[in-house]
Amino acid sequence: MTEARVQGFLPLKTQWFHILLSLASGEQHGYGIMQDVLQRTVGKVRLWPATLYGSIKRLIEAELIEESDERPAPEEDDARRKYYRLTKLGLRVLDAECERLQELVSAIQDKRNQGTKLMVT
Amino acid sequence: MNFAWRIYQRLAQAFPHEFKMAFGDEMLQAGEEAMRQIAKRHGVMGLVRLLLDMAMRLPIEYANEIRQDLRYGARALAKSPGFALVGIVSMGLGIGLTTNVYSAGWSMLTRPLPSAAHASRLVTAENPVSYPYLEQYREEKGLFSGVAAVENGVAFNVTLQGALGAKPERVFGQIVSPDYFAVLGIPAERGRVLSAQLEKPGDVPVVVVSDRFWRSRLNADPDVIGHTIRINGQNATIVGITPRKFDGALSPTPVEMFVPTTVPAALAPELGDNVLRDRNAKEFQTLMYLAPGVTIDEAEAALDGITRRMEKEDGLALQQADTSKRVVLFAAGTRVPIPRKVKPAIIGFYAVLMGIVMGIACLNLATMLLARGAGRRKELAIRLGVGASRFRLIRQMVTEGILLSLLGGVAGFAMAYGLSNLNMHLQQPAGAPLLPDLAVDWHAALFALMLAVVCGIAFSVAPALQATKTDVAPALKQGSALQLSGHRLFGLRNLAMGAQVAGSLLLLLTTGFLVLGLLRGSSVPAQFNQKAMVLVSIDPVRDGYSPEKAQALFEELPDRLRGSQQVRSFALAAQPPFFTDDEDGGFALTVDDAHAASAVQQSVAKETVGAGYFGALNETPLAGREFVDADDRGTPGVGGVAMPIVLNEKAAKGLFGSGPALGKRLRSDRQMYEVVGVVRALKDGSGIVQPIAYVPLTAHDFARPPAGGITILARSDSAADALSGVESVVGSIDPKLTLFNAQTLSEYLELTRSGMRSALRTYGGIGLFGLILSAVGLAGVTAYAVAQRRKEIGIRMALGARKAQVLQLVLREGMSLIAVGSVLGFLGAFALARALSAVTTAFADAFEVGTNAPLLLVGAPLLLAGLALLACYVPARRAVMIDPLKSLRAE
Repeated sequence: MTEARVQGFLPLKTQWFHILLSLASGEQHGYGIMQDVLQRTVGKVRLWPATLYGSIKRLIEAELIEESDERPAPEEDDARRKYYRLTKLGLRVLDAECERLQELVSAIQDKRNQGTKLMVT
Repeated sequence: MNFAWRIYQRLAQAFPHEFKMAFGDEMLQAGEEAMRQIAKRHGVMGLVRLLLDMAMRLPIEYANEIRQDLRYGARALAKSPGFALVGIVSMGLGIGLTTNVYSAGWSMLTRPLPSAAHASRLVTAENPVSYPYLEQYREEKGLFSGVAAVENGVAFNVTLQGALGAKPERVFGQIVSPDYFAVLGIPAERGRVLSAQLEKPGDVPVVVVSDRFWRSRLNADPDVIGHTIRINGQNATIVGITPRKFDGALSPTPVEMFVPTTVPAALAPELGDNVLRDRNAKEFQTLMYLAPGVTIDEAEAALDGITRRMEKEDGLALQQADTSKRVVLFAAGTRVPIPRKVKPAIIGFYAVLMGIVMGIACLNLATMLLARGAGRRKELAIRLGVGASRFRLIRQMVTEGILLSLLGGVAGFAMAYGLSNLNMHLQQPAGAPLLPDLAVDWHAALFALMLAVVCGIAFSVAPALQATKTDVAPALKQGSALQLSGHRLFGLRNLAMGAQVAGSLLLLLTTGFLVLGLLRGSSVPAQFNQKAMVLVSIDPVRDGYSPEKAQALFEELPDRLRGSQQVRSFALAAQPPFFTDDEDGGFALTVDDAHAASAVQQSVAKETVGAGYFGALNETPLAGREFVDADDRGTPGVGGVAMPIVLNEKAAKGLFGSGPALGKRLRSDRQMYEVVGVVRALKDGSGIVQPIAYVPLTAHDFARPPAGGITILARSDSAADALSGVESVVGSIDPKLTLFNAQTLSEYLELTRSGMRSALRTYGGIGLFGLILSAVGLAGVTAYAVAQRRKEIGIRMALGARKAQVLQLVLREGMSLIAVGSVLGFLGAFALARALSAVTTAFADAFEVGTNAPLLLVGAPLLLAGLALLACYVPARRAVMIDPLKSLRAE
């Protein structure tokens, strides 16, 4: 798993970023991801079903996430649902993306500290 | 909301199978749960957005699958390079050959004349007409927007000014009415084109030259407009240059200059004899631009009536009695206009031939895919087992087929390109007429691509269906050799092998017939050393002689030649020997017999020859006599006096059956003839025996020599002697006279055969490619068939069958398939030969020779059968050599 391979994924597509971010806190099924993203972004980002599963398919093919074989407790489990989790590569890509975004944000911060007026408050 | 949910379900159903397998249930569940929420929060627009998301995602998922198929296919092909190579070579040969034929032949027949704006609305009449008739046609404004007159293949002796004392060059052009370019819709590239407003009789003669002429003879000099050149000894001004690539209408060979009908007869002797007024002088081809809304059939019917009426006015009783069509029109907007009657036959012939070539190539592809599919049973079964749909697997295999076919298409296009370049270089023996530009272009590339895709799909579906028709469990257990259930008579594999043999034999025989026919015909049986006869042409009128002076020269010339020490025997003729001009559309002769119930009429080829012609060729007439000097002095059409005529055997037989011909009378539409002699039927230069009528040279021919001039045939101990003899005689009469086209008879025949040789190359090439293709295909299909039976062979061996017995078994089965295929191929070849012979005489003669060639009839099937048996034997032998235990346990 080389650094170049990780960097090859950056910058992440918005949907990909959100899906990976949702899985960062643990395994999740598709509908769960959808809800998680919706809550986290206060309703601003909605992953529509076809887009969501299309993205999940690509993420699996890219080996950033994988299907999890661990199931939740039987009483909560729905047999139709598949759970997904980050792979090691997925985690590294997410980290790298976060780092990249962090740098962007601190660049904005620097500007603001120098007294430049930016629209964002 | 229920409605939206139903659509959602439908859309979810439409996703690719694999996607559905992985996410289908979840997507439905997620949709169901999300829908309520979305409807509550976003209303109808939210639902629309939800469905839109589904609809937009669908094509993306499919495209993704196809991309995966392609990647998978490419990887699979790369893993078995041998298979891929054979497939690509097969398809490449097929597509390359077909594309080459398409681009050379087909585009000559269908590509519109370059630069001609009116190309699609141009028509021409099959037979030439006289100028007054043409002027009448021109008056029919309701039918035609324009009618131009064209006289094709006119020779001009051209001296470029500035090159003083230079020998004139002989250039071929057209005499056209001044509205020619307006009718075509062609502007000038430089200067101006001819126009009906500007060109008037009595003006200074002008000429328009082709771009080809301008580049090759005028060094592309941009200031050439307005310059004077000498044409047939007269001054003419160059007023314009035609657009690049325009090489003249109605002409298979490129036209170098366009001379208007308004120039004096001194410049263009073809315009002498009041030819523009003479209602009987059918010298002009018509180039007609159909008026808007008029169809070719309407124009033909109307023109037929008009022509009939005019003929009646002219008192042409014979033609009036003839109920056949007087005018037959066909499209003229292509490089080689072809009568509508003949076009389907020519196109059909090539379509059938190429269909067979492509068919064999595709069969190869199909059998290879079939074999490969059988070898991949296990892989396919596993994929079916883990949930791939059959449709998906079929699509995967078809994608591989298309991929192979496309790669073959690329190879094929490269081959077509190479072949066409090769052809351009090969087809140019010195002195042959200029070749039109026939380069492979994007049309051909598109054609090759379409061919590849269509064939790729068509011929990989069946193998894919066959390969995926598998019960998962036994296939997984038994691997590839699962079918022990006896062989099916009409199984795909047997059909493929039978068709392979039949198709190859059909191709081999058909091309063989043509090649043999052409080869056999190519030897002219002359009764003397062809190298010791020289042919040389003379054309005093184009050297500036008046018609009277030219006539006097030709009366003097025979006496002078007779007195020459060097010339042993000689004759004059209006065309070289063994050359039959069939451009005139035949020479119709009718037996003049008042007592006969119905008139016997036959169309024959006409040759115009002088006194002593047959003597010079060492031919003694079979009956009667040949022409003497007195015959040459006659003038046709005077006082109804019969002119002498000599028939060859074939013409005599056609007109008089087995009865005597001597002394009988014949008439053409203009002239009465009396048969004075019958000669042997000789093959012409292209090996065809035609019915020929020989008519004597007359004062008329001398006053207006044909485009090729008057040919002097002279024989001596050597060609050099004969030539110097003729040169000294002509030089002593007038040193300014030009002798041109000097060549020995054998050189001349060699030249006439160049066209035929290229045909031989084409047919021979097709046959050879067909043979290679079928060898590849047969090897593939039999290897596959035998490989499939490995297990069976193993069992037989284990049960005590001897190797020879097993081999015999395999070969016997192969043999019966080969026999059936051979019979079918044989019948097919003969049926095709019959059908084509019925349509065109050129094929008929070739087939007549070919179908009587035992070597071909026996050799071709044997060759193929041998190849096929070898293809059976090799894999069968390999199979029996293997330890039975091993082949039973394999996989």
